[in-house]
Order: sequence, then C-alpha cells, then structure tokens
Amino acid sequence: MTAADAIARRSFADARVRTGWFAALFAFMAAANVVGYRRSYPTVAERVAFARSFGANKAVELFYGSPHDLLSVGGYVAWRVGGTGAILAGVFGVLAAVRALRAEEDAGRQELVRAGSVSRRSAYLGALAAIGAGAVVLFLALFLGLAGVRLAPGGSAFLALATISPVAVFAGLGALASQLAPSRRIALELATGSLVLAFMLRVIGDTSTSLGWLRWATPFGWSEETRAFAGARPAVLALPALSGAVLLALAGLIAARRDVGTGLLPARDSAEPRLRLLSSPTALAVRDELGSIAVWTGATGLFAVVVGILSTSFTTANLPANLRQELHKLGGTTITTPAGALGFYFLLFVLTISLFACSQIAALRRDEAEQRLETLFVFPVDRRRFLAGRLLVAAASATLLALAAGFCTWAGAAAESAHVSLARLLEAGANCLPVSLLFLALAALAFAVVPRATNAIAYGLVSGAFLWQLLGALLGAPRFLLDLSPFQHFAFVPAQAFRAGPAAALLALAALAVLASLWSFGRRDLTGA
Amino acid sequence: MVAIRAEGLTKRYGSTLALDGLDLAIESGEVYGYLGPNGAGKTTTIRLLLGLHRPTAGRGELFGIDAWRDPVAAHRRVGYVAGEPYLWPALTSTETFVFLEHLHGSTDAAYRELLVERFQLDADKKVRALSKGNRQKVQLVAAFATRADLLVLDEPTSGLDPLMEVAFRQTVLEAKERGQTVFLSSHILSEVEALCDRVGILREGRLVDEGTLAQLRHLNAQTVEITFDGTPPDLGAVPGVRVVHAAGNAVRLEVTGSPQPLLAALAGRPVVTLTSREPSLEEIFLHHYDGSDHGDRG
Repeated sequence: MTAADAIARRSFADARVRTGWFAALFAFMAAANVVGYRRSYPTVAERVAFARSFGANKAVELFYGSPHDLLSVGGYVAWRVGGTGAILAGVFGVLAAVRALRAEEDAGRQELVRAGSVSRRSAYLGALAAIGAGAVVLFLALFLGLAGVRLAPGGSAFLALATISPVAVFAGLGALASQLAPSRRIALELATGSLVLAFMLRVIGDTSTSLGWLRWATPFGWSEETRAFAGARPAVLALPALSGAVLLALAGLIAARRDVGTGLLPARDSAEPRLRLLSSPTALAVRDELGSIAVWTGATGLFAVVVGILSTSFTTANLPANLRQELHKLGGTTITTPAGALGFYFLLFVLTISLFACSQIAALRRDEAEQRLETLFVFPVDRRRFLAGRLLVAAASATLLALAAGFCTWAGAAAESAHVSLARLLEAGANCLPVSLLFLALAALAFAVVPRATNAIAYGLVSGAFLWQLLGALLGAPRFLLDLSPFQHFAFVPAQAFRAGPAAALLALAALAVLASLWSFGRRDLTGA
Repeated sequence: MVAIRAEGLTKRYGSTLALDGLDLAIESGEVYGYLGPNGAGKTTTIRLLLGLHRPTAGRGELFGIDAWRDPVAAHRRVGYVAGEPYLWPALTSTETFVFLEHLHGSTDAAYRELLVERFQLDADKKVRALSKGNRQKVQLVAAFATRADLLVLDEPTSGLDPLMEVAFRQTVLEAKERGQTVFLSSHILSEVEALCDRVGILREGRLVDEGTLAQLRHLNAQTVEITFDGTPPDLGAVPGVRVVHAAGNAVRLEVTGSPQPLLAALAGRPVVTLTSREPSLEEIFLHHYDGSDHGDRG
C-alpha cells in the first residue's frame, strides 16, 4: 500500500460517520419523494393542477429551486430532491475538505503524517481521494434511493450525478479555504460563507425575473439547469466538473508550496492583552463565540431581508385548491398575503436557529474533546453551574438570532411596503424559540449522556425532524408519528396566531432536558476525543 | 493535616482495571513523588483525586474533601499542571493567567511576574503559537502563582529543556519552603530523587512500594562492585549474593541482607578494588519492574 493509499483510507475512515449520515439522508429523501408524489398525485389531472399551482410559486422555489417538469414523477423528484440535495452536497463538500485538509493540520497530526515518506503532493491527493470516495457513496445512496423505487435507472443516475455535482465545487472551495486560512475555524467560515453566497445567488436567480441569469453564477443553479427528467442537459455538468478541477488544482499548488500548519493569510500570533470577558468560564465562552455569533446573525439577517423583500411577490398569485393542500402538508398556511408567505419562511429560520444551537453544543463538546474542560474543572468551578452558564450563552444568542430574523424580515418587507408590523414579526422571530431551545436542550442532553456522539445526535435530530416535517405528511404518516417532530408544533406566525399551549409544552420539555443534562453532566467522567 | 488521602481508590474503564485499591496518605508540607511507567495509572489517580473521573470504588480526599462530591471546595486549595498543556489557543499567556486567576480566586501577582521572568515566557504570545514546552511553562507559572496549598503536577517537565528543569526544581523547592504540599507524578527518577521526601511506586494500577528514599533503600540490596587481579571466582553460590554483571576481571553484585557471607568468600582472594553503594532510585524502580510485562493502562 502506498502512502497516498494509506492517507486516503485513514481519511475516509475518519469521515465514515458523516458520510453515513449524509448517505442515509439522501437515500431516504429520494425514495420518500418518489413514493410521496405517486401517492399524493396519482392521476394526470391532479398532476396538471399541481403543476399549474406551483408554476409561479416563489415561496416554494426558495426552498427547492425552480421546477422544470411537474407532470412526471421524475421531474417532480428532480425538483424536490435536486434542490435541497444540491445544498446538502455542497455542505458535505465543505465539511469533508476542511476536515481532511485543515482540521488534521490544526490538530498537529498532519506533521506526523508528513514526516513519513510521503510527498506533499500525494498527501494532498490522498485526502482528495477520500473526499471523492465519499462523493461516490453519496451518489450510490441517491441512485439506489431513486432507482430502488422504480424510477428509470438512466434518469436516476443522471439526477444523482447532477445533485452531488456541487461536491466538486465546494470541496474545491473548502480545499482553497484550507490553504488560505491559518486555522480550521477560519477555513470553515470562509467556505461556509461561499456556500451561503451561492445559495443566495440561486434564490435571487430563481425568484427574480430580471436577475434570472444569476442562476448561472452558482453551482446550485448549475445542478438545477441540468434538468434531470425534463430534457436532460448533460453538458451543464461540465461547469461543476471544470470549476471543481480548477479550484482543487489551485489548492493543490498552494498546498505543495506552503509550510505545514500555516495558511496564506497571516496569523496574528502576538497581541496586547485584552482583559475583557475573562472573569468566568461563561464570560470566556462569550468571548470565544462572539465571532461565530456575529457570522450567524449576519447571515440570518441578510437572508431575512431577502425574505422580507420577496414576501410581496405572491400577493396576487392565484392559488388553486391543490396548492393549498400541498402547503397544508408542508406545514399549513396560505401564502397569498405577505404575512402568509412570511409565516412559511419562518420555518426556515427555526431550522437555522436550531442548527445554530447545535453548533453551540458542538463547540462545547470540542472544548471537552480537546481537554480544555479538564484544565477548567481542576479549578474551583462547579460543573453544573458551568454547563448552565454555557447553555444560557447559547440560549441568549439564539434569542438574538431569532429577533434579528424578525427585525430584518420586517426591514425587507417594509422596503417593499408590505403591511406587516414590526411587533408582529418580532413575535414571529420569538415564536421560533420554543422549537430551537428544545433542540438546544436535547443537544445538551446528548452532550451530557453520550459525549462522543454529541454532534451526530444533535445535528441528526434537527435534520431528521425537519425532513420528517417535509416528507412525513406526503408519505401519509399517521398523526402521532408526525407529532414527534417539534417542527410540527410550530405556529406559522405571522400568518397564524401564536399558540401558547404547544410553545409552553415545548419549553417545558426543554427545561426537563436541561435539568437532566445538568444532573447527568455533574456525575459523568470527562471524556476526551 | 493530611493533604491527600485515598482509601481503596479503584477505577475500571470497561474491562480495564486502571487503578486497583490505592491507599495513600500524604501529609501537608510533604513533597511526594509518584512513580510509574507510562500507563501504570498515574494520571488516572490524579483524575480521581481531582474529581474529574468518578471512582468505581473507594474514595479520595483533598484536605478531607471528596473532590467528586464537592469539587469547588476541594479545588480552592489546589494548583494543577496537566501532563499535556490543553489551553485556549486564541488567548495570550497573560490572558490565560488572568482567566485562570479568576477561576482560582487568588493569585500572587508579584510572584507570577517573577516566574514569567524565570521561565522566560513571552507573555503576549498567543497559546496557539507556542511550542509544547512553552505551553507547559504557561501551565507551570499559572499553577505556582496561585500559591495553592497543594500542587498536583502530572509529569510537569515533559517538553522542558534542562535550563527550565533547573528553574522548575527551584520553584518546587520554594513551594516546599513555604510549606506547600507537592504531589509530583513523574517517570524522571533523578527529578524525584532530587525533590521528593517520600516516594510511591505504582505498577499496573497498584502501589507496590512506598516510603522515604532511605526506607526504600533499606529494603533493597546494596550494589557491590569488585575488580580482581585475575579471573574472578564464582560468587553466585554465596548466600544473599546475585551476580548482576561480570566482564573481564570485574563483577557487579547485588547483596541482600548482611555482607558477612560475601566477605568470608572473598577472604584470601586477590581483590584490587571494592566499592559498595546504596542502590539508586533507578535500581529500586527497575527492581519492581524487572521481568514484568508493561501492560498499557489509562
């Protein structure tokens, strides 16, 4: 076995849990959409009505992108799976590249690897091979999910390929960010920033008539323009393939020329002492997380402004009964008024804030895995008070995110003279909190009970529940199973009235989970990586 | 007053028995050397004493406080240096000191300045830019500057250069003069020999020997080296004598108990030189580990 082989195998094994989760998600999403469409719209007439109702629906496009053919199972699935799947593929590319190419170096392990008889080039190629193998696993999962429920194999393979095509581009961007940034965190922020930008470009390209060309400026637009099952255009795949190759080659060139452990961007290694926020572990957590909180708040705010501006675009839409039925399944509201459309969008903000909550617990777990908590707890620091303080920081910043979403949505809507009051939208923001805080509490519980599985459980619960929310009704699942998802109990404020009962129930569950996590964390061993 | 007490302290990780019924009693003001090879259970002992891990059985106390039950009270009187310096990469050394001082609640700022000088630290450098040895120094300065009643040091000099070793020894001796208790876990025997009043030897999770250096030496054989004028006689059959090494005209022997039988055997032999010395700590240590498997333990 050559050194590059060994590196590729180690790197692939290192990513197996993440790859497994993504593969499961892809397979489930693909199969569920095929089955769901066949069940919900069995006749041509129903499909025509459905297609007409969605033809010009911008709110739904924001979620899934532009549809090209809604009359066939394949066309529908290409739209539903391709849209969200491409984004997931982008996330996978970023995570895989930064993990293999920067996090390893950050942890110091790369030095050990490079001290072996291995060239810089083959170390880089080994890491890339592992990412490529991961992408192949995702492709197979998606293909089997589609073809396994009797979708044409040729078309399934093309759709699967188109959906995972952003992996090439975003692995390239992640690899490039890993060369530029001096640390894992900055690399991740750079690459994630480019992903958010690409998503925004697709949203604007899909929802604006004059800026439609922007779709060609983003990998998510490219995967949309491959038009699987709707007059497939294989040539479009050259765009992600070529740009991915260029980015990866560029990153490879830099990787072969720079010192291990450094990035092209300068690292500031010395600084005058800044003594703010050092008075307690909670204060230090705020200090550590300020940058990350600012990035999340900024991105959410920006997205909220766009959402606000778009809220008026369906005011005059003529919505037939079928669309109402479909939207009802997605969560149930009307989108013919700005308030209605906004209520629908806030589901996306709940998801964002819940993922932010997971990222907070993930940061806490990293502090433990890297044994800084051990350094902390040999001081007179009460473990339970520490965890409570850390959760308070997370909850407070989630609240900030929620209110920023409300405020920025209002600002965008006000710019388009939509008649929705600030108070109502702040309420809509706050309405996101019970669900998000429950996810925060569940993540904390996972951290307290099974520390090594914290991230898998936290992110898995949020994405699993959200997917279930989108697909469960479509699959005709019974009520009690649908009710398992916290998203199911989310009231579509401002379209609907705030529902105090479910909110109180979610918060009570969250409080219970927090108490259980405090109790459990106080009595378990600290656990390294 | 007893600074550290352990009674039947036991820790099992899954099927591995990392620590097996440890009993310890370390008086205030003592400098205690805790010896053992990698994986003998030294760090496990410290984690249990500090209440970072929960004992499977038995109990550990710091100044009469069970650190698992009440870590806050127990840790008020403790300064700790971990074997690996796990710190906050984005903080500078100074910021780290300030943060850790806030956690501990007290510090001797003047002494800290002196230690920063002594260990030649660049206090404005961020931790992520420091080498392992320098990060270790940050831990040492932070721990000693607290002037805590008990210093728990887990292989504190790993990564330090010889000059810094000297600085470390000086600092431990200063702590001893002030009446602070020091628990020094180490596998560097010369360090323990130079600093410690009492030594415990850990092997595969059990304390196999304990005492002052003098006591440990009495339990063990004297080392006798003899050169002869001509071929040495066979001394292996003499009671209490074991031949450790023989080459040319010289032999090295281990003599247990009275040297009388050896002297009798040597009478009339052509002895050129004869030296007798107490065993070094290394020899005591190796005595306990001789021919054993060095199983890996947490």
